[in-house]
Amino acid sequence: MRLIAAVVAGVAVLMVMARPAIAHHSFAAEYDANKPVTLKGTVSKVEWMNPHARFYVDVKDEKGAVTNWNLELASPNVLVRNGWTRNSLKVGDEVTVEGSRAKDGSNMANARVVKLADGRRVFAGSSGGDAPPPAQK
Amino acid sequence: MTRIARLMAIVFCVLAISVLGAQQTQPAATSPAGSGGLDRALVAPTGPAPRLPNGQIDLSGVWQGGGPVGNIADGLAKGEMLPIRPEYLKIMESRNAKDDPEANCLPTGVPRRDPYPWRILQTPTHTFLLFEGNIHSYRQIFMDGRKHPADLDPTWYGHSVGHWEGATLVVDTVGFNDKFWFDFRGTPHTEKLHTIERYTRTNMGTLVIETTVDDPGAYTKPFTVTFTARLRPGEELMEYICNENNGFVHHITGSAKEF
Repeated sequence: MRLIAAVVAGVAVLMVMARPAIAHHSFAAEYDANKPVTLKGTVSKVEWMNPHARFYVDVKDEKGAVTNWNLELASPNVLVRNGWTRNSLKVGDEVTVEGSRAKDGSNMANARVVKLADGRRVFAGSSGGDAPPPAQK
Repeated sequence: MTRIARLMAIVFCVLAISVLGAQQTQPAATSPAGSGGLDRALVAPTGPAPRLPNGQIDLSGVWQGGGPVGNIADGLAKGEMLPIRPEYLKIMESRNAKDDPEANCLPTGVPRRDPYPWRILQTPTHTFLLFEGNIHSYRQIFMDGRKHPADLDPTWYGHSVGHWEGATLVVDTVGFNDKFWFDFRGTPHTEKLHTIERYTRTNMGTLVIETTVDDPGAYTKPFTVTFTARLRPGEELMEYICNENNGFVHHITGSAKEF
């Protein structure tokens, strides 16, 4: 019976892990989790500010046309607690961003994971980890 | 091993492979510093709640959570529903997510919380709740036995007086404005709102906050919501000035009730 209890507990833990974490106030209203986007380009600007840090990436299409994307991160306090610094992203860095597009169709997205210039894939903290989910009831 | 245990083990393995497989199509992302801050928060201390030299439970520390974020009804007892008056349900359903005062860098009011840490600071005369996040402000709770003034200007956090009932800090608040929302969904209230919060530190790392929401303006009867805050040991509050660069609220679309 102890084994069965352990198995049930294990499944429960996995199901909790699979649930999306609670987002910051604007995520669900501003971004569409069903519109994933992957953007590869060059960082053109970094705004290390509240309520969300942002960075901008120039993305070149196959014809060479450049589009500037506005990418939202968590707030600086959350990013710092997750090991980011204001220098983790610098203008000129080549990055790949996985995120969710803005619902209004603008060239804006909520960054979930950023592949930094040095090759590390790091959480952006904004949709999945905007601070650990507040413990609810 | 019985047959049923073997079967359960197989089910577990299949679930584990499917859940983890779906999540890890690529190498797992990390925080830039490796473990980062998340692990620290997940190690919840146990053991009894600490006490002050006078024997009173010590609530001080940095906490996270403890109030509604997305939906205040999450804090109701199982099977209960918000006793909202029909005209206020209409108001709620007409609200747009972009108008959430919290998204516009205004205070959460009571009992709403934001996703950021907050600190309880106790002095003999006052208890302060210091909020890192929306909007780097504070609540002050008078502990000197005074009563609420008769005529209060409506405010975001109201006028709070506190007293101890055994191991529980009871905070009674009136004098609220009707501007804040209880949650993302736009759950409303009126200036008749009166809250009674009961803060109980059930162990070192856990603070249970039970709030009775008494607002005869918007609700047909009082209701009680319970949320739990977790201690963040070793954490310090950081600066968070929401209004610094909140220029993107206009990208929020849709009705508040969807969230």
